[in-house]
Amino acid sequence: MLELKNVTVSYGPVVAVKNVSLKVEKSSITTILGANGSGKTSLLHAIVGLNKIVSGEILFEGERIDKFEAHEIVRRGLILCPDNRMVFQKMTVLENLQAGAYLRRDDLSKDFEFVFTLFPKLKERLKQKAGTLSGGERQMLAIARALMAKPKLLMLDEPSTGLAPNLVTEIMRAIKRINESGVTILLVEQSAYAALKISHYGYVLQTGRLVMEGPSERLIRDSSVVESYLGGR
Amino acid sequence: MALLEIDSLTVRFGGLVAVDNFSMRVEKGEIHSLIGPNGAGKTTVFNAITRVVKIHSGTIVLDGVELTHVAPHRVVSYGVARTFQNVVVFKYLTVLENFYVGYHHRIVGGLLKDLIPTKRRLIENYDMYREALKLADFLGLKSRLLSYAGSIPYFHQKLVEIGRALMAKPKLLLLDEPAAGLNEAETKQLVNIVRRIREEMGITVLLIEHDMRVVMDISDVVTVMDFGKKISEGKPEEVRKDPKVISAYLGEINSA
Amino acid sequence: MFLNRLILGLSTGSFYSLAAMGIVLIFKVTGLMNFAYGNMAMFMAYVTYTFVSLGLGAWSALVLTLLVSMLFGYAVERFTLRPLRKLSHGSMLIVTFGILMILEGLATQIWGTQYKSLPELIAGRPLIFRGDFGIVVFRRQDLLLFAVLVTVSFLVFLLYRFTKVGIAMRAVSENEKAAQLMGIDPNKVISWCWMVGTAIGTMVAVLGAPRTYVSPTMMIYYQIQGFTAAVLGGFDSLLGALCGGLVLGVIENLIGGYISNELKTTLSLAIIVGILLVRPQGLFGSEEIRRV
Ligand SMILES: Nc1ncnc2c1ncn2[C@@H]1O[C@H](COP(=O)(O)OP(=O)(O)OP(=O)(O)O)[C@@H](O)[C@H]1O
Ligand SMILES: Nc1ncnc2c1ncn2[C@@H]1O[C@H](COP(=O)(O)OP(=O)(O)O)[C@@H](O)[C@H]1O
Ligand SMILES: [Mg+2]
Ligand SMILES: [Mg+2]
Repeated sequence: MLELKNVTVSYGPVVAVKNVSLKVEKSSITTILGANGSGKTSLLHAIVGLNKIVSGEILFEGERIDKFEAHEIVRRGLILCPDNRMVFQKMTVLENLQAGAYLRRDDLSKDFEFVFTLFPKLKERLKQKAGTLSGGERQMLAIARALMAKPKLLMLDEPSTGLAPNLVTEIMRAIKRINESGVTILLVEQSAYAALKISHYGYVLQTGRLVMEGPSERLIRDSSVVESYLGGR
Repeated sequence: MALLEIDSLTVRFGGLVAVDNFSMRVEKGEIHSLIGPNGAGKTTVFNAITRVVKIHSGTIVLDGVELTHVAPHRVVSYGVARTFQNVVVFKYLTVLENFYVGYHHRIVGGLLKDLIPTKRRLIENYDMYREALKLADFLGLKSRLLSYAGSIPYFHQKLVEIGRALMAKPKLLLLDEPAAGLNEAETKQLVNIVRRIREEMGITVLLIEHDMRVVMDISDVVTVMDFGKKISEGKPEEVRKDPKVISAYLGEINSA
Repeated sequence: MFLNRLILGLSTGSFYSLAAMGIVLIFKVTGLMNFAYGNMAMFMAYVTYTFVSLGLGAWSALVLTLLVSMLFGYAVERFTLRPLRKLSHGSMLIVTFGILMILEGLATQIWGTQYKSLPELIAGRPLIFRGDFGIVVFRRQDLLLFAVLVTVSFLVFLLYRFTKVGIAMRAVSENEKAAQLMGIDPNKVISWCWMVGTAIGTMVAVLGAPRTYVSPTMMIYYQIQGFTAAVLGGFDSLLGALCGGLVLGVIENLIGGYISNELKTTLSLAIIVGILLVRPQGLFGSEEIRRV
């Protein structure tokens, strides 16, 4: 569904992603692991068009998208849930969700219902300005807003950051459920174990280069991955 | 006597009671964790201690001195320093300069004195520089001292924030989710640093954290909040087994 | 007499409010202070004049001009500013300055230096009310002005608060990248703002023309006062712009009436500086909502 061929991303002289090629199969959950600063966010931003790539190709459903503007890519159903600082702080929770559904013309009530069962807290705070939410609440809003767009391919940038343990479990379950309902998922996570457990295929990024890939069950058992990313959990 | 005593603290935002008649004490030399579901009011407690939100009722006493009516920018001179949930470093200052910002309140006198190179000023500047070097060494940031804080890796930015707080020589250090967004190896380093802050510098630490491995690993005491109230308190092992904490916060997987 | 002064103040203030709303709308969403704002409107007033001298009725000329002004606003943004948008904010400011001067020169070239006059959109005897409060005089033009102000504010408010375009405007104004992630095209939103903003400015010029006459410098004072009103209102609030303009108009007229006509501008500015010293964020400016 999504394919990257030799993608390089840089900020001026700083090369953040070097020559990365990867594939996300339709209806799968693919995960990208990597330490802080290894280029995960830069890569996601490049895919969705917020960063322009220096070289390489990005194909979504067979179409080359790397020359498009971000909003044109989003129109094709490729949605990024960015980190929680990118919610609209001056808008209310409800308006943020409406912004998420900006491109939709169909009925939203089912989607509202879905995100409110996932995050009942948001339903109580519809009129609160997002800038005054707690860190975790803002994270919930970022995820909910992305879901309102009805993505074909959903990319999540460290969705469990700042969430309470029980919610992390719940989010992971929800991602699996969303995937089973037909949405392809590209997941970037710090808690590598939780991510690999629900995903089908994984890539490991190190200082901008892919250093390892494979089916998730294999990565979980791979001793070098365990050592550097899974720790003694 | 406890270093920090919070008594019946209530903070409201409009109709919302974010902190509800909440009391806790932090003993000298402790590493104390404050945990609880998202939106429980943990950060608001920090904000109340550092006086950046309005306290509706209750008192906060640090080392026998009441902070309740102190102006926000003066709190640090009473011995409280903090880090923020979203990393707040001065991006376009170097790491060294960020550290200097933390030292600010320890300098006597205003701008005018600052411009005149008195002997005392020179000594102060020298002290400030030495202290910054010492901390950079302590945090493993020595090679970064002259880089812009915005240009260094995320983990190091977090350490810069901690360093800036330590430059104030606080009695009490407040850390808001220091391990959020860190990977395994970085988390271990962080835990280590927090321990050494207590052991080598003798600073009491109160921290908010969602990473249970960190909390269980380093805390002497854990306080759990939900809906602005205290629902449990005790040693990490005790709290971890508390059914109230499991149902409100940990969830079934982590309770195993 | 006080009530009549007040009405006069509100009527002058309505001009300032409208001018301020256009300035704020463009500023809020694009972050750009449009110095050419007043002169673009001035140019449009000449267009109305041309339509009228070609034999069109005042009303049809106005409607037609509003359409032209939207095209004009669109074109100015699309062809002179957009190419610079990602490159340099400073250059964009200079471009708006350039347009300000070009339009002034062009207007003189085309229409000459002689002042032109535009007819009132509605004429007729003033309405006079008598009562315990004394005699109150409403000019019909003032009523029209209030009606326009109320309608425009209300429409802009509805647009901004309750429509998808409004959500898109606010999203772009707060965080352009995040807005793009919602599928919002920032360029389109910016075009909309320029179209609406320019049309509002044009309204000021055409409604004000019967008083000021159509001339290359007719809008200078309105632009300055519109800017002042915007600052008074907080500069990022449309409601602030609305109230700021009215307050400014009233202060100015009361000073003019009771103290000295020569000092009215100076004194009213002094008062505004005073207000801003007490409330630096303006009457309605959002205090930065940021929490830690
Ligand atoms: N300025 C404010 N205005 C309105 N509500 C606020 C404000 N600040 C905080 N709140 C609300 O108060 C509650 C407590 O917030 P707080 O930030 O203390 O939570 P927290 O325990 O730190 O949560 P998290 O773990 O998600 O960071 C939240 O529900 C939040 O939405
Ligand atoms: N806006 C930017 N300007 C300059 N360098 C950047 C910018 N964003 C990220 N980088 C650099 O690119 C590298 C990859 O960062 P990032 O993609 O954020 O990694 P990750 O998401 O894996 O933590 C880092 O070295 C970082 O410092
Ligand atoms: Mg990242
Ligand atoms: Mg918090």
